[in-house]
Amino acid sequence: MSLDYMKFTPGFGKFMPKEYRDLVEHGPFGRKVSVSQVGTFKEILEEHPMCAGCAMTLFIRLAMISFPNPEDTITVGTAGCGRLAISQAAIPFVYGNYGDQNGVASGLSRGLRLRFGDRPKDVVVMAGDGGTADIGFAQTLHSWFRKEKFTTIMLDNEVYGNTGGQESGMTNKNQVLKMAPLGKKFEKMDMVGMAKVAGCAYVATVVPNNPRRVESVIKKAVLIAREIGPTYIQAYTSCNIEYAIPTDKVMEDAKNVENDRYRFSEYITDEAKQYLAEVYGYKEYLPKPAQALTKS
Amino acid sequence: MYLVANIDVNICAATSCKLCTQYCPEANTILYDEEAGKEKGLKYGAAYVAVDRCKGCAQCVWVCDNMAKHHAIKMEMIDQIEQAALTENIQYKEKTTKAQLTKPVPA
Ligand SMILES: Cc1ncc(C[n+]2csc(CCOP(=O)(O)OP(=O)(O)O)c2C)c(N)n1
Ligand code: SF4
Ligand code: SF4
Ligand code: SF4
Repeated sequence: MSLDYMKFTPGFGKFMPKEYRDLVEHGPFGRKVSVSQVGTFKEILEEHPMCAGCAMTLFIRLAMISFPNPEDTITVGTAGCGRLAISQAAIPFVYGNYGDQNGVASGLSRGLRLRFGDRPKDVVVMAGDGGTADIGFAQTLHSWFRKEKFTTIMLDNEVYGNTGGQESGMTNKNQVLKMAPLGKKFEKMDMVGMAKVAGCAYVATVVPNNPRRVESVIKKAVLIAREIGPTYIQAYTSCNIEYAIPTDKVMEDAKNVENDRYRFSEYITDEAKQYLAEVYGYKEYLPKPAQALTKS
Repeated sequence: MYLVANIDVNICAATSCKLCTQYCPEANTILYDEEAGKEKGLKYGAAYVAVDRCKGCAQCVWVCDNMAKHHAIKMEMIDQIEQAALTENIQYKEKTTKAQLTKPVPA
């Protein structure tokens, strides 16, 4: 949980695996990297067993690149596909029992604030739609109502991917799945609406076919959660297995779904805007200069 | 045998748009060599695939064909590729990487 934990004990460097050495010498720790520079630095995410071509994998990869301070970040996850990759990164990962992730993150983020005071330590929850909106629903909503300062990211593949295709609250109405053969009977839950009602300071929906936008929303969400309040990102991360999307068509699907029913949206409170402008120099949120008076 | 992505340096180094890297779901898999192709007078350097990390999804092919419109990437059987990059032969540098290319599987 600091830059130092990455470094080798003097004299041991040459015995370390190449991937580790690359990470220490050419990774993102302690410097700014961006999505546009990928392919020239060593990423913190390592090999993992998620399916080939999975959009959730791409989203997790982009998220890991976008964390403002990876050396001061802890991820929290739970049962579901995403944790298979999130746990394989060079930042600490805490596994909450299925649905417990926002409760675990609440305690963790409070503890870190007590221990480290003003030094920001970022807690980021990444969990599936089932984990977040079904079994973890109460804990997710309570962490928001209680204004717990950390980021919640829903990896919304609109199905229980890891257990073979049951419907979740986030599945669309009438969708037929392997284990919902008659089609889902009710509407997709409006978690974005609930996040706003429950008092999140920043809420965004995003699709990974626009990597720089993913980067932008993750950075804002993590920074705002440091001091202002809970933040929520809902990302469409299709399951190519359960929705039978050929892997080379995953980005085409993402584009179509984005245009159809998963448009980019961003909600940010005035307090969060002011904070980003004043503390992190976000020009887009600086107060607009007063309109120049025109001579009549 | 199995398919992996293979990037034609002659096509890629003519533009090197840096799109496929941002869309590959796997980390540390499509990398850049800013010097690639320069010996042939091509300007921009090129992307290449660490074939031991590639899962063969062909998402990069879709991106290069449809978004970049450069058609530089093809899926090929790993034993049919003459020269490829493996993670153990990749060196990270200041703002680029360099791979020592080898026959990816023993002949
Ligand atoms: C308490 C508990 N109940 C059930 C399970 C079994 N289980 C593992 S993953 C999963 C579903 C995951 O679905 P989702 O959260 O949508 O994530 P995805 O795999 O789709 O990314 C279930 C039911 C579990 N691990 N723990
Ligand atoms: S089952 Fe679906 S969500 Fe899970 S890793 Fe495979 S493609 Fe991705
Ligand atoms: S998308 Fe195609 S042209 Fe662009 S960097 Fe990748 S391989 Fe090269
Ligand atoms: S085929 Fe898939 S895993 Fe392999 S380089 Fe292309 S996008 Fe990456």
